[in-house]
Amino acid sequence: MKKTILVSALAALSAAGAAHAHFQLVYTPDVMLEKPADLDLKLVFGHPMENGHTMDMGQPKEFFVTFKGRKTDITNELKPITWQGAHSEAMAYEASYKVRRNGDYIFTLIPEPYMEGSEDIYIQQITKSYINKGAMPTGWNEPLGLPTEILPLNKPYQVFAGSTFTGQLLSEGKPAAGVECEIEYINTDIDMDGNAFDENNKGPVPDTAIVAMTDDNGMFTFGIPRPGVWGFACLGSGPEKEYQGKELSQDAVIWINATALQ
Amino acid sequence: MMPTRLYLSLGLALGFALASTTSFAHTPLCSCYDMGGGTVLCEGGFSDGSSAAGVDIRVVDGNDNVVLEGVMSEFSEFEFDKPQGDYMVVFDAGPGHAVEIDSDDIVE
Repeated sequence: MKKTILVSALAALSAAGAAHAHFQLVYTPDVMLEKPADLDLKLVFGHPMENGHTMDMGQPKEFFVTFKGRKTDITNELKPITWQGAHSEAMAYEASYKVRRNGDYIFTLIPEPYMEGSEDIYIQQITKSYINKGAMPTGWNEPLGLPTEILPLNKPYQVFAGSTFTGQLLSEGKPAAGVECEIEYINTDIDMDGNAFDENNKGPVPDTAIVAMTDDNGMFTFGIPRPGVWGFACLGSGPEKEYQGKELSQDAVIWINATALQ
Repeated sequence: MMPTRLYLSLGLALGFALASTTSFAHTPLCSCYDMGGGTVLCEGGFSDGSSAAGVDIRVVDGNDNVVLEGVMSEFSEFEFDKPQGDYMVVFDAGPGHAVEIDSDDIVE
């Protein structure tokens, strides 16, 4: 690892500003499959590390899965649900998807922009989550050509606690430098049948937001301190800056799964 | 005398053979599916993402008799008519690099 990346990441960690971040979830519990399976996916917009306020999602603009370079639109598979957050209910979505063949399945959500009244801006988090079947890698490290996205440089479905995760932030396919990326983990149990976050937290909540800044090549590296589902949200890196006459923060989000190497 | 490097290679191959469910560099991978209609489709590959085109594959019956043999296609696939009774698929990428799949594990 380059010393400069580590230094900038550490500096960002200690100089973080705002409290806790919005994160668009595209969640399914099992991300490394040995056998064919019917996946249940939950799309929820919340504050996963704080286990705080859950926000209403609008009808997603796009929801698709990319397998071996082929994009399949599964927007019609989405069903609206009511999600029970630890402190509030919110509109969310769910979908099912059958995984059979070996390889990497990349689920991408392009949500309807969300009006964040407290900041008077719209937030649109373009979100990727990864599933692997049969241990065969088939494209987890390839960009999808999204307006903005985080390209993983480690297998996102197999990261080990105590190791690091490196991503490259792209905006219209080009590295995006100097962008703030917020980092959280899902800090509660998820009830897949009950569409709910547990009201109890699983782990600590840092005093301030965890942040890494992208370097000149759009890269950031973060040491994963504990097992869990970790999200990275790079803020305002997308090309669209305005929506319905107001500022738009078009963010890139990626989810990774970290386990203990035991 | 066998070079040290060859000993190491043999050791690694043995390690891979004993750990078929986990993945190391260039570990063979194979999955088979009952496609319905009396056929079985197998797809192969390696853990580094490389193709299994041309890799030997065979089907043996409950008495270890070879029922049919073939090679993986350019798409790393092999489809065959489902035999009667118990059988096993052997994806054979060389010594220490074989994957065996029992018919009980091949489902629709």
